Amino acid sequence: MPRAFTQFANAWVRLTSKSPIVVTFFAIVLGLLIGALIIITTTPAVLVSWRGLFHSWGGLGHALKVTFDNVGSAYRDMFSGSVVNPPEFWHALTTGKNWNQALTPISETLTYATPLIIASIGVGLAFQTGIFNIGANGQAILGGIAGASVATLIHLPMILHLPLTMLAGIAGGMIAGSIPGLLKAFTGAHEVIVTLMLNYVVALFLIFSLLSTALQRPNQSNDISRNFDPSAQLAPLFGTASGLRVSWGIFIALAVVVFAWWFLDRSSLGFDFRVTGANPNAARASGINAKAVIVMVFLLSGGLAGLAGVVQASSTTHLIDGGFLIGNAGIGFTAITVALLGRNRPMGILWASLLFAALGVGGRAMQASTGIPLDLATVIQSAIVLFVATPVLVKEIFRLHTAQTGAVQLATKGWSS
Amino acid sequence: MSVTESPTTVAISPRAAANTRTRVIGLLMAVIGLITTFIFGMGSVGSAKSSLTFTPVNLQSAPWHLGALTLSTRLCDVIIGLLMIALGVEVVVRHPAKGVMARFGLVAVLFFLALLVWAARSPGPSQVPFINLTSILIGSSTLAMVLIFGSLSGVMCERAGVVNIAIEGQFIGGAFLGSMIVSTTHSFIYAALAGAVMGGLLGLILAFLALRYLSDQIIVGVVLVTMLGSLSSYLNLQVLTPYPQYNTGHTAPNLAIPLLSKIPILGPVFFNQTGFFYVMLVLVVVISFGLFKTRWGLRVRAVGEHPEAASSVGINVIRTRYTSVIMGGAIAGIGGVAFMAAQGQFQPGYTSGLGYIALAALIFGRWRPSGAVVASVLFGISVYLADNLQTYQIPVPTEVLGMFPYLITIAVVSGLIGRVRPPAADGQPYQRD
Repeated sequence: MPRAFTQFANAWVRLTSKSPIVVTFFAIVLGLLIGALIIITTTPAVLVSWRGLFHSWGGLGHALKVTFDNVGSAYRDMFSGSVVNPPEFWHALTTGKNWNQALTPISETLTYATPLIIASIGVGLAFQTGIFNIGANGQAILGGIAGASVATLIHLPMILHLPLTMLAGIAGGMIAGSIPGLLKAFTGAHEVIVTLMLNYVVALFLIFSLLSTALQRPNQSNDISRNFDPSAQLAPLFGTASGLRVSWGIFIALAVVVFAWWFLDRSSLGFDFRVTGANPNAARASGINAKAVIVMVFLLSGGLAGLAGVVQASSTTHLIDGGFLIGNAGIGFTAITVALLGRNRPMGILWASLLFAALGVGGRAMQASTGIPLDLATVIQSAIVLFVATPVLVKEIFRLHTAQTGAVQLATKGWSS
Repeated sequence: MSVTESPTTVAISPRAAANTRTRVIGLLMAVIGLITTFIFGMGSVGSAKSSLTFTPVNLQSAPWHLGALTLSTRLCDVIIGLLMIALGVEVVVRHPAKGVMARFGLVAVLFFLALLVWAARSPGPSQVPFINLTSILIGSSTLAMVLIFGSLSGVMCERAGVVNIAIEGQFIGGAFLGSMIVSTTHSFIYAALAGAVMGGLLGLILAFLALRYLSDQIIVGVVLVTMLGSLSSYLNLQVLTPYPQYNTGHTAPNLAIPLLSKIPILGPVFFNQTGFFYVMLVLVVVISFGLFKTRWGLRVRAVGEHPEAASSVGINVIRTRYTSVIMGGAIAGIGGVAFMAAQGQFQPGYTSGLGYIALAALIFGRWRPSGAVVASVLFGISVYLADNLQTYQIPVPTEVLGMFPYLITIAVVSGLIGRVRPPAADGQPYQRD
């Protein structure tokens, strides 16, 4: 075996054995491959080109070219729609003009990532404590409803109104979070069942509240709220005129990341949380009040989800309607996958949120230019998370024998635990 | 090892705790009865009349005609309310050991009936001065059928110790493939088979990741639902929209059983249904019998309760779990086809969380086939009424009615009413020694 190759192989093994990030990386690669496979098998032009193979072998080159063109343009549009479009960027760099246009993709990604980071940190904190908060979406919706009430019904100067709106969102999320927390602590009800059911209760409550006289927009018969007061809106970072939607909310998200890092690694309560998550019996033996920890983690996790909900409404739509965080827009569900991808660590979650936001925003750009539906982005996201949740499978596929899995912490052990 | 239960905690007289819970249920039933008596009964005008009709519309084989029944709203609802109070008092005083939840279910059904009688009162706000009881039951039965498929799937998986939270995903997969197959072959039998294969495949993925790689079953389930939801939405736009011939949207024909389908009220509900309904009835019987009366069922339950013990007597735990989860997935897949056969054309997101209601029905039904059926019927009625009560202009917001399945499930898992216990090893990873 050539020496260079052996050296390369050794370096490869050393690299892959170092860090659990390797498994994450390969999970992302596999996810993108699955996305490519789906594009290939469902795009008529590609399938037709492969049919040419039945006529002559010369068709192979053509078929490969069509395949790569289609898959390539899809992923290229995804990238240029979510990160940067090289020609536009180059144009802005050389002429100094049209910076807004060149920065729009990254601004959209950051706009989408802002509430996602906050909600995912909340879910990740719960995971670290061994709690599966599947109800982040419901908590975010209730946060949005509470925030919208303050933002549309009370009129105050911005210095009071904006913080109050955010606090209302946190309070709304905490209310929704306290229910599964209290029930789990005092009756042993499994939090997955309770939060799953509460998601639907809150979604119905959203419709109910938007049709109530208090919240419904005047002279409207459908489920839509008034606009947030300008004093309760998170303003665009570069001013409304720039057209870039990224808002001051991004600093809230970054503050939440720093807080989560401090909380988990530096505070004693955060230590209690992690001990409870790592070994509940040891936690009990060392005198940690398990019930208090469960209630508090749900308050914290729910509060962050509620904040995410109100940030979402206050920075983008400036109102809530019946479709608020419902279905594909449900950041609370994406937050679960983001937290898993980020291994429940604040920095990991930050990167994972940016990646998933980029996939979502890029998916929209891809749909606009190539006609491939943006739902593909969600398929890729779920595939990535399936692989991240199954590190052993990824290791087997790529023969990473020595890699540590850094196993995603198994938060739940079924209903009866 | 996952032994956490110390014997000392069990010592706190479980009998007394059970009695308290039973009393709480009884009180709750009495309170619902009081609400019915005073708000629906005494709250309506004394001269108000409610009219019930029994002849379903849009049915080729209509049952023997039954005239309309006109009742005094107040009298009717007061009687129903008093009946509920009596049932509640009986539970509080006698706290019977068995059948409490069945009585609770009866009270819930009576409440729905009282609500309908009250909603249709005339003079009243309703634009429709009568309620067609048979039509409501037929509409609810379709939803209940889908829920029963879903919750039976849950019973199969969870009795073997694997949490199947992906019922919703199996519904979506079954409905999608079923619609494609029925559009091309015009055969609901092929569609049902395709749905079963699709659901079984999803069950296989869940089982493979959970049993071979010990992934967290809840995470895999949640992600599978997300994946199927987005994949079906993607394929709908990418394939079904440009080629509408693959999604023509047939609804399954009703197969009326001669004579029996002529019985008023019950006939159209039980004997004038699509083939899927009869398949569901057979499945309920087969699974109830199979799980509790056969050697196979004993093995499945042993694997779900105590896999180590099951393994030590020579049962292949992993293989039993694989087959149960795949069979469970196939049942949910057929449920998805059944839903499609009632709704027509596949649309993304049209199962709208029915799979999670099925999960709720499974839990409310205490992981038993019979309980799951009762719960599915109850939830089917409440979901149907929540979707269709707007026509009666009732002042109760229908969203509140829609919350019923979820709230009742939360109450049940937290032991506020009743007590449920999942299979002991449900969701726990199992590793061969």
